[in-house]
Formats: sequence, structure tokens, C-alpha cells
Amino acid sequence: MNVATQRQHAKTLFAQAGLPTKRNEHWKYTDVSHLSDMAQTQSTAQTIQTPTTTLGIQNLDAYVLVFNNGAFVEALSSLPQGVDITSVASLLAEENHKLTDLFTLSGEEPLFNGFLALNAANAADGAAICIKANTKLDKPLYIKHISNQNITLRHGIYFEAFAEAEIIEHYLGVDDNAGLSNVSTNFILGTGAQCKHYRLQQEGSKQSHIGRVEVKQYQDSNYQMHAVELGGALTRADIVVNLAEQGASCSLNGLYVLAGRQHVDHHTRIDHTAPHCTSHENYRTVLDGRSHGVFNGKVVVHEGAIKTDSAQSNGNLLLSKHAQIDTKPELEIYNDDVKCAHGATVGQLDDKQLFYLRSRGISEESAQELLTFAFADAVLASMRNEVVRRYVEQAAFAKLPHGEELEELLA
Amino acid sequence: MASNAEIKEQFAEREYNAGFVTDIDSDTFPPGLNEDVIRAISAKKDEPQWLLDWRLEAYRHWLTMSEPTWAAVDFKSTDYNAISYYSAPKSKKDGPESLDDVDPKLLETYEKLGIPLREQAFLAGVQNIAVDAVFDSVSVATTFKGKLKDAGVIFMPISEAVQEYPELVKQYLGSVVPQGDNFFAALNSAVFTDGSFVFIPKGVRCPMELSTYFRINAMNTGQFERTLIIAEEGAYVSYLEGCTAPMRDENQLHAAVVELVALDDAQIKYATVQNWYPGDENGVGGIYNFVTKRGECRGKRSKISWTQVETGSAITWKYPSCVLKGDDSVGEFYSVAVTTNCQQADTGTKMIHIGKNTTSTIISKGISAGRASQSYRGLVRIGKDAEGARNYTQCDSLLLGDKCGAHTFPYVEVKNPTAKLEHEATTSKIGEDQLFYCQQRGLSEEDAVNMIVNGFCKDVFDVLPMEFAVEANRLMEVSLEGSVG
Repeated sequence: MNVATQRQHAKTLFAQAGLPTKRNEHWKYTDVSHLSDMAQTQSTAQTIQTPTTTLGIQNLDAYVLVFNNGAFVEALSSLPQGVDITSVASLLAEENHKLTDLFTLSGEEPLFNGFLALNAANAADGAAICIKANTKLDKPLYIKHISNQNITLRHGIYFEAFAEAEIIEHYLGVDDNAGLSNVSTNFILGTGAQCKHYRLQQEGSKQSHIGRVEVKQYQDSNYQMHAVELGGALTRADIVVNLAEQGASCSLNGLYVLAGRQHVDHHTRIDHTAPHCTSHENYRTVLDGRSHGVFNGKVVVHEGAIKTDSAQSNGNLLLSKHAQIDTKPELEIYNDDVKCAHGATVGQLDDKQLFYLRSRGISEESAQELLTFAFADAVLASMRNEVVRRYVEQAAFAKLPHGEELEELLA
Repeated sequence: MASNAEIKEQFAEREYNAGFVTDIDSDTFPPGLNEDVIRAISAKKDEPQWLLDWRLEAYRHWLTMSEPTWAAVDFKSTDYNAISYYSAPKSKKDGPESLDDVDPKLLETYEKLGIPLREQAFLAGVQNIAVDAVFDSVSVATTFKGKLKDAGVIFMPISEAVQEYPELVKQYLGSVVPQGDNFFAALNSAVFTDGSFVFIPKGVRCPMELSTYFRINAMNTGQFERTLIIAEEGAYVSYLEGCTAPMRDENQLHAAVVELVALDDAQIKYATVQNWYPGDENGVGGIYNFVTKRGECRGKRSKISWTQVETGSAITWKYPSCVLKGDDSVGEFYSVAVTTNCQQADTGTKMIHIGKNTTSTIISKGISAGRASQSYRGLVRIGKDAEGARNYTQCDSLLLGDKCGAHTFPYVEVKNPTAKLEHEATTSKIGEDQLFYCQQRGLSEEDAVNMIVNGFCKDVFDVLPMEFAVEANRLMEVSLEGSVG
């Protein structure tokens, strides 16, 4: 099978599925009816002229891939050794490429929906990356997306046995144009492979973002995700992990910092299909203004997946009277030899903690900021890359009403 | 060491003690459902026109609905035209005046089940308990009516209440669960035959526990009872419900509706020990238990508490809920559900916070063994104006056997920042270390399992009324029966 056939197949799947509506259980809290036209319209790529080098994380020593409105910009990119990077555009021409697997779609995938079918059918470009066996990338791979219109991108990243790499996926906007990013990133982690994945979303204020991360993990592989939601008007991301072989482990960390009328919805699904696998999940949301957060975390332990260890925690902080959160941590277990737990909390800042700080001479605003930061930091603390972490902290501060003060306080 | 698997097997193979059939002449409608059947039920009960119209309205609405499929249960859909909607033991026309008029076979049935229909002390020395016994489609006896009447409490079959207190029934019937609420509630509204009616007037504390005992006996029938409990300002009532059915190879439908209304400062405690026939070890037969239970805390500082011990039924589909409308009202849900063999249960609760400073607590314990599957499905919704709402949820599952399943689907929807919610869930099997600890102190393995299971359910058993706590403990022990000695 070649990629072209796959795309044709995806078109058929879309014709059958259509776009999801609020009547669909998985889209109950997220109304995407207004995105229908954008989802089905391909904009002709207009290169953004703004100097793109100043956008994104600075002082980051990394290999860079830049996508400007969905098109790969070779001139701005620097590629590592030991890694094959093919553009999807060129894959289209080739028969039986091993990366073709990353582009198949059966329609049976967990959380399959019309957007995903459209993504597979229309993706104009994307990076098909293969990290060779036993290769350990010395620097992170920074995939920078800058967009202000409708884009469809599909990345596939294949880790061969014992490959190790850090992937930073960054979605940036430049202005207030309204568009829709329909992006998906597929990972396959071979035996013993290790992947640290940062997924930062800072699209423009009118941009909508429908994303998907799909991970298939083989024996003893480890996948770590840090998803940070800061920008965009409406964002939906489906994170689907399949622990397919013994000893695989994953950890999913998520943080939303939302204000205004922002809407962010993450659906995560972890399938434990093999014995001795571990999954950890920690999601936190900070909601201000009229923002609306949605979190659905599902862990499925299949028959035979003995000695499964799974923990999930979801904390939600509401800062304003009009903010709203809908959360649903789900467990589906078909096996008795497991240890599974989940917890969810919703609340506002603790009066006693505020009082404690104020009694020590910290202004009420600063005390609030400090506690909010501490709440969010529980997720950020697990980020090992200091530069990325610092960048995210600053970007998150900027969204809080008295961010500068807090910066000083913590400096 | 006796193998763990053996214990699990024994746990799964518990016996059903209430599975006998009472051989009694009954007056049963032929199977089928249409407007004529509803008219006939209504005529049997000599109902006023408004109630018939109400039923017909529900029926017409029901025709437009389809059976829900979202629950995590797998079953053959019921043919609603193949079951009979009315079955009553033949008795004297005007109904029994006193217990002496009740068919001795019926008395025997209830005696066998351990339900005292004679007005005697229940568990010698313990508080008395008033019982309304519902046999298939009708209530056959209600005890302590006189004593309750002296206290101002109305406790009678709903069919009698329709005759004697039509205004009260008309005012409250369907006010919590409207006719078209869901598929099974609509069906129930159309064809409900009997059930209990309880009214506690202002300031009255009901002097004894009230209890209804449901028994399905006839073949090919469905039981559709409707219970309505109203507690006026400052009233208090504790109500218990028990259920059993004979062992049969076909599936029988039980679709009940329970409505609770609590006004200012009122308190209603509603406890259920559900032990319908669960089907045999291959999943043949058993009751489909599709029940709509909802309580409305209409008044300030009112409180509704649901406690359930679910051990029976082939399929359970039940979400006792609280609508917390009044400020400072409290909703509680305590549940132990045991599924073994091929039983399936999809159960949980809904806590809808509307009033200010409303509090709800959810404790749900699931035990799943054999090839059973069990789900907790719950909703906690905090409305925009529910300032200071508070919820605590804990749902734990214990798995016995590698073929069983336990699932959790909790929905949390919050629209007010002052709300405080906590949700916790765990799933595990009995810890090897716990078993080892008990055994090295001289307990046999089955005693250890028994003890651990009981400890697991303790939070819920503790809030059961004493009489039922005894029964619940006994039921759990029956589950483990055969593993001792």
C-alpha cells in the first residue's frame, strides 16, 4: 500500500463519519459545528512574512524543523545526523515505504472522528521521521509551526529499537486571523525506545486547533508527554496511547492556563493491552474569565494485561465566576490483577493558604498568583528541559493578571 | 494453602435462597401492551379519569422513545408485547380487611422470605417495622396502618392513596420523575400497578421504620411499581425496600419509579436491599432491573439519603439521584454492589446542585467476581448559582477473578468557582499482603476473604438501618457460603 491509497481510504472514511456533533458522547462538551467549513476548506499556503526566527523558544540548542502555514521551510531548518526526515509530500510518490505505517487509518482507532479522517486524507505536508536504532539524539528536535490559516499537517515519528530523543512540538500564531489547524502526530516506539514529547499550543486568539497524538509502544519503551495549552480560541486534542508490549510505560502531563472565552478539551485514552505496563497521568487546569475546560481521561485495562499499574490525577482550579470545567476520569478494567486509581478535584484557592501568605505581608493579588503558580507548577516540575520549562512558565505568567509581580517574587 | 482461585469460584457460585415459586391462583392479563391494556389496568384500580389520561399521555410519549443503549451492559432487548402488565393473586373482591383474609399461601411466602406480615416484633426487642407487601402487581398487605395513622403518617398502597388522597397524589405524582423522563420511566408511568405511598406531615417524625417488600411470582410478567414519598416541613422518615423473585430461565422485567420529595428541614432515608434472582451461572434467566429513582430536596436544609445493597438481578440499571434545590440541602448515596457469574450492573448516582451551600457525598463500593461486569456511572453537576457547593466522591472496586470487569464513568460538571469537589476511585484485587496478614494470625483463607470483603463494604453497611445491616451481612455471607469448613 502506498500513501496515496491510504488517503483515498481516509476520504471514504470521512464520507461515512462526517464531523462530530455534540450528540456524540466524546464531543458532548465541545461544540465544533462552526468549524465545519474551515475543516473542509484547504487554504492555499500563504507564507507568513513576519520574521519567524524571533518566535518560539529562544536560546534553545536544538535541531529545528519549521513549518510556515503548513509548508516545510528547509532554509530555516537544521537536521540531525542518524535521523531520516522525509516530507510527506515526497512519501506520496513512493511505494511501500516503511513509514507508510504511520499514515494508515482504519476507522477503528480509539476516538476516531471525522477530523482525523480529514487529516489523513488532506495532510499537505508533515515530517516523516525515523530515528535509527540505538541513536541517542544529542539535542532536542524542535518542530515549530507558525500559522494563521487553515492547515492540515500529519507527522509520523518512528523510533527504532533503543532510540532516544526529545521532541518539542510547538504551535504558534502570529495574528488574529481565524483558521483551523488540523494536526496529528503519530509515534511508534520500538523496543526500549525513549521519547520525551513536549506539545505546546500557543496559536493566535482566533485560531482553532484540532490535534491528535497517537502512540504505539513496544516492549520496555517509555513515552513522556507534556502538553501545555495556552493559546487558541477552541482547542481539542485526543491523546491515544497503546501499551502494546510488556514493560512499556507512559506518563501524560497536561496543563491548561485559560482566560477570556477560550475552550480547551483533551481526551486521553491509554490502552493497557500487555502485562507489566505502567501509566501515569497528571492533568491540571487553571481557568479564568469565561473559559471552559474539558478533560476526559480513560484508562482501559484489557483481559490478560496483568500487573498493570495505572494512576491518574486531575486537578482543576476555577479563578472566575464564569469559568467552567467538565471532567470525566474513566476506568475500564477487564482483569483482576491490577492496581488502578484515579482522582479528580475541583475548587478555588484555599482561604487558609491565602491568609497564611497575607499574614506574612504578601499582597492579596500576589498571594493568589503565587498559589496559582504553585498549583500549575506541579505539572511543570516534571519537565526535564529547563529552557522549555522556563519558557512555558513565562508564557503562563503572562496570561495571569499580575504576572510581572510574580516574576519578581520568584526571581 | 487453599488456592485463591477456589475461593473465588465459591464466591461466584453463591446460591439463591429466595428462588421458590408460590403456587397461587392469579388473575393475569394476557401479554401485550396497547391503550386498551392501560385502560384495563386503570379500570381494575377504579382510577379517576385524570390518572388514566396521565397514563395514556405517558404511553403515547413512550411509543416515540427507543430503548437506551448507552449503559455498559449487554443483553437481549425485551419484547414489550410478550409480557403481561398485570398479575394479581385472586382474592376477595374488596381486598383483605385484615390479615386473616389474606391467602395463607401468601403469608407463607413472606414468612419463608423472613418478612413479618403479622404485627409482631421484628427481631425480638428491636423497634417495630411497618411493612407493605407487594406481590406481582398488587399490594397484598400493609401492617401497622392504624398506629401510623395515629401519628398522622399515611402509609398505604399507591392504588389506595389514589382513592383516599387523590389531591396529594395528583400534586406530587410525576413531579420529580416526569412521565417522559426516560424510556423505562415512561413505560412505568403508563402501566404502573402498585407500590407504596408515604406522606409524613409537617413536624412529624415517623415512629417506626417503613418498609415495602416486592415479590415477583407470576411468569411472563413485568413488575412496574411506583413509590412516592413526601416529607413535609421538618418531617423524618426511614424507608426500606427489599426484593426477590423465583428462579426462572426467562428474563423478567422490573421497571420501577421511586420519587422522593423533601420540604424544608425534612429528612428521608431510603434503603434498598435488592436481591432479585440473578440468573444461573451461565447467565440464563434473572431479572432485568431498570429503575428510575430520584429525590428532590425542595426545601431548605432538607436531606435525602440513598443506601443500596445490590446483590441480585441479571442486569441492573439504576441511578438513585438527588436534586439539591433547597439551600443547605444534603444528598447522600451509599452503595454496595456485588456481581457474580454473568451479572451485569451499571449503577451510580446523580447529584445535581442547584441551591447554595448544598453538600453531597457519594460512596460506592463494587465487588465483581466470575464473569460479571460492573460499572459506576455518576454525575456531579454544580449549577451556576450553587455557591459553596461541596461534593465528595469515592468509588472503589474489588475484583475477584481474571474474567470480571469493573469500570468507572464519573461525570463532573462545574459552573461555579466556589464549589469544592473531590473524586477518588481505585480498583484492585484483594491484596496478597492482606490475606497473608490475616492467615498468619490463624484465620482460614475464606474467613480472611470474608473479613476483607466486609471491611471493604463497611462504610456503606454502617449507614444501613440495623435490620438491614444484618440482612446485608447475611447476604454477603451467603455469597461466600460453601467456602467455610
